[in-house]
Amino acid sequence: MAEATSIVTLKGINKTFHRGKEPITVLESLDLDVPTGSFEALMGPSGSGKSTLLNIIAGLDRPTSGEVKVAGANLAAMSDSQLAKWRSQNIGFVFQSFNLIPVLTAAQNVELPLLLTSLSGSERTKRVQTALRVVGLEDRMHHYPRQLSGGQEQRVAIARAIVNDPKIIVADEPTGDLDRKSADDVLTLLDKLNKELGKTIFMVTHDPNAAEKASVQRKLDKGALQ
Amino acid sequence: MNIATYARRNLFRRKGRTILTILAVAVAVLIFGAIRTAVAMWNAGADEAAVDRLATRHKVSITMQLPKRYIDDVRKVPGIKAATWAVWFGGKDPKERTPFFAAFAADHNTWFDVLDEMSVPPDQLAKWKATPNGTILGDVLAKTLEVKVGDRLTINSDIYPGDWEFEVSGIYTPLRKTADRNSLVFHWDYLNNDPRNEFGKEQIGWVMSQISNASESASLSKAIDKIFDERDDQTVTMSERAFQLSFLGAFSAILTAFDLVSLVILLIMTMILANTIAMSVRERTHEYGVLRAIGFPPSYILGFILVEAVLIALVGGLVGIALTTLLINFGMGPFIEQNMAGLFPYFKTPPWVLMVALVAAGVLGGIAAIVPAIRASRHKVIDSLRRLD
Ligand SMILES: Nc1ncnc2c1ncn2[C@@H]1O[C@H](COP(=O)(O)OP(=O)(O)OP(=O)(O)O)[C@@H](O)[C@H]1O
Ligand SMILES: [Mg+2]
Repeated sequence: MAEATSIVTLKGINKTFHRGKEPITVLESLDLDVPTGSFEALMGPSGSGKSTLLNIIAGLDRPTSGEVKVAGANLAAMSDSQLAKWRSQNIGFVFQSFNLIPVLTAAQNVELPLLLTSLSGSERTKRVQTALRVVGLEDRMHHYPRQLSGGQEQRVAIARAIVNDPKIIVADEPTGDLDRKSADDVLTLLDKLNKELGKTIFMVTHDPNAAEKASVQRKLDKGALQ
Repeated sequence: MNIATYARRNLFRRKGRTILTILAVAVAVLIFGAIRTAVAMWNAGADEAAVDRLATRHKVSITMQLPKRYIDDVRKVPGIKAATWAVWFGGKDPKERTPFFAAFAADHNTWFDVLDEMSVPPDQLAKWKATPNGTILGDVLAKTLEVKVGDRLTINSDIYPGDWEFEVSGIYTPLRKTADRNSLVFHWDYLNNDPRNEFGKEQIGWVMSQISNASESASLSKAIDKIFDERDDQTVTMSERAFQLSFLGAFSAILTAFDLVSLVILLIMTMILANTIAMSVRERTHEYGVLRAIGFPPSYILGFILVEAVLIALVGGLVGIALTTLLINFGMGPFIEQNMAGLFPYFKTPPWVLMVALVAAGVLGGIAAIVPAIRASRHKVIDSLRRLD
């Protein structure tokens, strides 16, 4: 039953980094089950491995050992290029520092992931408009990132994350660089994506206010979930 | 938008740096083009040179003179059609309208028979032969010195002191591209009889002969030198071009060195490009990480960087080609053709030099980018993303 309704299933995850000769174990025998359509917040002290865990779920990093099943795919069995393609179709990324391309307009930033698809130019434009409408920035299409506020930039980044209609949105401290008001806007938006569009959201945050918006709060400490 | 939009926008992301790099490439292409032109035109000049003329000079050095009677011996050699002689006078304009020009004291009876690429109207030639202090000069030099037929002309020499007064009997024009339009010639007798030439009496600088059959030039050179083998002053005979080059021996060596310099320039250009690309790529490490996270494969990152480098190099190459064409074909080239026709009858950048320069710029731009591009594309995504600044 858990298999059918889980979009993320991690089993016995270990992750060890090597800094010089010294091994650093970040995650140890970690298990995680994220039900489809949930909105989860992951908290924990700095350096506890939150981003590392999120990267493993998003197919950006591989565990040292353990099983990773996300959106029906066994990530451990996939090559780097298969993973890249899989990410473009299944994962929407939201970063702390927005990470928009400064030389591209809001619309062009949102269109980026679509360039990897076979969609026609007009179809791409339609999707970009829809995504920007969802985040409430249709009128800022032709603005460059430097012409937008931090909150607006992050909303453009969210539009970029949903334009490919991914199953999961991973967000690493999406409100970390924002003021209270903009942070609330972004959280409301994520909530809307979860509730209205049924996206599964996995969000790392330091901010208890932000964590409150999620339906599930988890805590990572000393390599294990509590 | 398409994939090229991003590559194109990146091009002028750091305007100042890109423009400086483009200029550096342009200047490199200009220098490369100028050097290649000089070498190519030098060789073209060699092909144009008169193959039927030999010069005989003192075996030890061009600065040593020969007895005048040697001319009679040369003229007796079978296969020699005509022979004339000259003494180097080293012309200088007292008003310094030109820094220097070739002036000779030569045999007025035969000079223009042998140097048949210079055309003198018959009446002017006859006038010259009958005028002891008469002179004939090239049309370009006449313009520089602002004289017409019939004018008086005073020049100096870097060998003989004082003023030398002449009457302009004629002006010659070129019949061939190789003709030197900047020379002046006057009667050898006029110099020989002047007290300022008391140490050079009855002496000549060199003999210039015209041969009937160009293919005999090697054997005739040997035959001439053999005559004087047992005399006090031995000779060496060579083609006219080799003779001209002996005045400019260092020039030939410089051209050879230039050959190497033109390659070094390309190397420097590649290093400048590599530096620019490496800086840009380093700045964008994080951004490339974002693109990779979104799903762009490494080959795209490689492509972005290579395309950008090749574009910068090609734009620089095009600017360089424009500069080269402007400066050489419309500036320096015509000047050199007029003033150094003996050595460079033509001075134009051949189209193939421009093509080679452009292709070299593009290819070297790609080569300059290959290491940073491969490195950036192989970077692990999480490492790129972690590097925030
Ligand atoms: N690529 C890497 N190489 C070496 N060590 C790494 C690497 N990535 C993470 N680490 C280490 O792993 C540990 C966990 O890092 P991680 O970024 O997951 O922490 P975090 O919980 O996200 O912290 P923060 O709240 O500060 O973002 C840290 O000690 C970090 O230094
Ligand atoms: Mg983190």
